[in-house]
Amino acid sequence: MALKELIRAIAIELVDHPDQVEVTEIAGENNSLIELRVAKEDIGKVIGKEGRTAQSMRTILAAVSTKLGRRAHLDIVD
Amino acid sequence: MSEPAETTETAPTDPQTARALGFVRTLLKHMQMDAEVALAPDDGEGEGDEIRLEIEGPDAGRVIGKRGAVLEAIQYLTTRVAHRPGEDRRHVAVDAEGYRARHEDQLAEMAKKLAKRVAQEGKVITFDPMNARDRRVVHMAVKDLPGVRTESQGEGPDRRVQIIPVKG
Repeated sequence: MALKELIRAIAIELVDHPDQVEVTEIAGENNSLIELRVAKEDIGKVIGKEGRTAQSMRTILAAVSTKLGRRAHLDIVD
Repeated sequence: MSEPAETTETAPTDPQTARALGFVRTLLKHMQMDAEVALAPDDGEGEGDEIRLEIEGPDAGRVIGKRGAVLEAIQYLTTRVAHRPGEDRRHVAVDAEGYRARHEDQLAEMAKKLAKRVAQEGKVITFDPMNARDRRVVHMAVKDLPGVRTESQGEGPDRRVQIIPVKG
């Protein structure tokens, strides 16, 4: 749950429509798949120039999931 | 929003600084890091109207990450969040336990040494790809040295700075 809330906390600050930010976490034993959905016009904002915003979120996600002894993958759903 | 003056931190007066500070605070909390963020003391190191934040605490090492990767990510996202469309872009610098300051000092030192060699040997030196901030450190370190100039080549994540000899 912590990982999901982490991504949500970042995403709502990046977008124009925070009310349309949806984050789901599919958690396995050691793995989590985090799916991020945002308003269509906000997709560019969470991906960023050359994917740098998404990459930054993944770097932070990896650092935190490692600390929790898990692996997490962030999928931005469009 | 201002908290009781426990530290030397001055309450952010402008919206960008307030957003940057608030975002890093939220981020550290969600990352479950035992670390605090504050405005960096105004020690004359900052450039122009740069927003400088400093993270400190037992988890600072994790906040920095391997080769500063996590810190870099935090800084990038904070820059995005601090600015609203139409606002002038300000530099946002997020450091942890002086990591970035040390890193930039070392990079500047290395650039100066290499510049000397370029001037002597007349051969171009090309750095590994670096982010805009580090490239700038190299440009600034070398700009007043005789016999060399700098230039950035390549696009996006592949952009590299070169030190180039000039006939003088």
